[in-house]
Amino acid sequence: MISIRFEDRVSIGLQYVLDSLHACSPFGQERVRRLRFYAPEERAALLTELGNTARAAKEAQTQKSLYEKIMLVLCQLKDIRGSLSRLFEGVCLDHVELFELKGFLLRIEELLPLFDRMNEAVRIEGMAFSDPSEALKILDPEHTRSRGFYIPDGASEPLRAIRREKKQLEQRLYEAETVAEKDALKAERTRVCAEEESEERAIRKAMCLALLPYVSAMQADADAAGRLDFLIQKALFGVRYGGVLPELTDTALELTDMINPELCDLLKEKGRAFVPVSIAADRGATVITGANMGGKSVAMKTVALNALLMQAGFLVCAKRARLPMFHCVKLLFDDLQSMQSGLSGFGSEIVRFSEALDEAEQGYSLLLIDELARGTNPDEGARIVQAVTRYLNGANAISILATHYDGVAELARAHYQIIGLKDVDPDAIKAELSGAERDGVAVIARHMNYGLYRVEGRADCPKDALNILRMLSLKPEILERIERSYDTEKS
Amino acid sequence: MRDDLDKRIAEARTLSIVGMCKNAGKTTVLNWLLNRSRDRVLGLTSIGRDGESVDVVTGTEKPGIFIPEGTLIATAKDMLSLCDITQEIVCTTGIPTPLGEVVLVRAKSAGNVQLAGPSITSQLKTVSGLFFSLGADQTIIDGALGRKSLGARTVAENVILCTGASYDMRMEKVVQDTANVFRLLNLKKAETPPEESEKPLKELLRESGEALIPGALTDTAILPLLKSGALRNARLVVKDPSKVLLSPDTLEKLSVRGVSLETVDAAKTLCVTVNPVSAYGWKFDPDAFLRAMEAAVTVPVINVKEALS
Repeated sequence: MISIRFEDRVSIGLQYVLDSLHACSPFGQERVRRLRFYAPEERAALLTELGNTARAAKEAQTQKSLYEKIMLVLCQLKDIRGSLSRLFEGVCLDHVELFELKGFLLRIEELLPLFDRMNEAVRIEGMAFSDPSEALKILDPEHTRSRGFYIPDGASEPLRAIRREKKQLEQRLYEAETVAEKDALKAERTRVCAEEESEERAIRKAMCLALLPYVSAMQADADAAGRLDFLIQKALFGVRYGGVLPELTDTALELTDMINPELCDLLKEKGRAFVPVSIAADRGATVITGANMGGKSVAMKTVALNALLMQAGFLVCAKRARLPMFHCVKLLFDDLQSMQSGLSGFGSEIVRFSEALDEAEQGYSLLLIDELARGTNPDEGARIVQAVTRYLNGANAISILATHYDGVAELARAHYQIIGLKDVDPDAIKAELSGAERDGVAVIARHMNYGLYRVEGRADCPKDALNILRMLSLKPEILERIERSYDTEKS
Repeated sequence: MRDDLDKRIAEARTLSIVGMCKNAGKTTVLNWLLNRSRDRVLGLTSIGRDGESVDVVTGTEKPGIFIPEGTLIATAKDMLSLCDITQEIVCTTGIPTPLGEVVLVRAKSAGNVQLAGPSITSQLKTVSGLFFSLGADQTIIDGALGRKSLGARTVAENVILCTGASYDMRMEKVVQDTANVFRLLNLKKAETPPEESEKPLKELLRESGEALIPGALTDTAILPLLKSGALRNARLVVKDPSKVLLSPDTLEKLSVRGVSLETVDAAKTLCVTVNPVSAYGWKFDPDAFLRAMEAAVTVPVINVKEALS
């Protein structure tokens, strides 16, 4: 089963996506809050949901006002599930609970024709509402369709008589002059009020009994309303970020020009644009290498985000997406939390890695590992990552590793590199740095190409670090020495 | 004077009944208001809980609230079983109270009700808005007691101030303190409030002769300024009257120096009611009490025991 820690949701941008949804009903809000991922054995259900989402997104523009009307009705739904289970247990509901039930049924009645229209345009599979009119007959026997709830005089003959008497007494009380007369009338009135109360209770009890056969339909409607609410939100999200209907594969993952909505928005605010990332991977290890500051982590987080979105029934933020369903998705990113757990950074990293492996071996999984063993000495670190890569090649999972270590990439099934500063003319940057621009980090960020390209054959990690050092104007004495050491290695 | 008062009460869109103390006669006033205009739809709620037939604080008998048919009330859900009106639930508000959500109910028959309304100003405004959208002609808020009642004017534009012998054994003290609250309730509305400023009060007054007091106005802040003469003929504006924590003596001094004390949120006090009988056993002479109170305020004064029952 997929479960993602809150910290990881935040770090990959999934929480950002969820926060951008505005579910209207309590049922829809619950679906967003308790996001559920489809399990691999629910493949058919996921396909249905994805199809619904894609069609709903496609019609979002043409059916805008219809969607808004539906959302308006959904906004007015109250969570009546507590009352429904009390009803099922045989509790006699009070006035306010019956009012809420009536309100719910009225909203469903209002929703039905709108849903039918949406269904016509979008063809929503596997979702239906039941006709509330029979249940409404119980709660609105005089078919007033007023929003309020009131037990009408005509609900029973005794009630009619009691209410008539109550009214007469009130008139007499209003006209009474002496205190003694008033007191006598008040006592009389108290008796009548008690009778009214018990008669109303009997009527409420009868209403509850009559409603009993409709409880499961109302529960199903509440659930369907939540799904409809969530579906519309997913569709609107897809429209906002150019979501695409993914093709479900057995094992292969292929994401073309994918984006990360949170980073997209963040960069847009700064007047920059997110560079779409493409990657393909299959069972076994895929290694990403590349410059520091080059966005290896971003690439991996975006893969995780989109895989998870797909498995929750969202459209994928990419031009084209082919994805398998995963038994679990594991993220092993550098995070502060685990370092504070008492173990050293390295220790806790290895503990988490073994735990993740154990879980991933239960079914086809996605493992994303960012710079494993980064904290240890490079010689040992490289050996560890090489061994892990070999092992993961045989594991029943897509594993994507980002690493700096040499000698890892050629062991993997596929090797990607961050384009980084590869195509940039160093002289251009130098010129810029010697000009007015003093902020080296900003200059690098501007020239850095965060895209990935697939490396065929053997290739060592790019040596962009040296370039970056130059741009950040490290002391020339140190730079010279580094350059000299590269030269001696070459010769 | 009474005719004029009746007219002003009838014209008030929102009306808050506030008391100097428990047993000041608030509920008597409320019942009188509720039953004097049976052809109009009233919306009724309270700040916090009220309406119990025995005062839960003092243990004394008190009148219940009896509403005519057609009245709208806003009260906590758990209070509904204690109301003997025939109820139509009109809407739920989502406003939580310790006694359940606040629910709006239309009385399909006359009867006794127990009120436990919202306790936050903004929620009271929401409820009052709901009453009007449901067709109410007037909203009545059974308001708070003592100092807290000074906040009432941020909710309702009109106030009825209730006082009585239960406040203190000394009639002079009752009259003096009531007059003090009355004066604060009736602070002039600041038509053009001065702009908020970070500068010290003294500097502001010297520059422009006026200042907006962002927080509370206290004796310790005002007395030195009075002595230095910086306040002469100045204009001081507070957010609402509950922010004025000055002693009656200081207030008097301010008025002598020609200081104009104004407020951003303003309301009118329509009348003062007096209850000469204390819940604790003592009584004032009704006529002397009424006359003393009349001399101390500028609005009609009504004896609840005689004029309203």
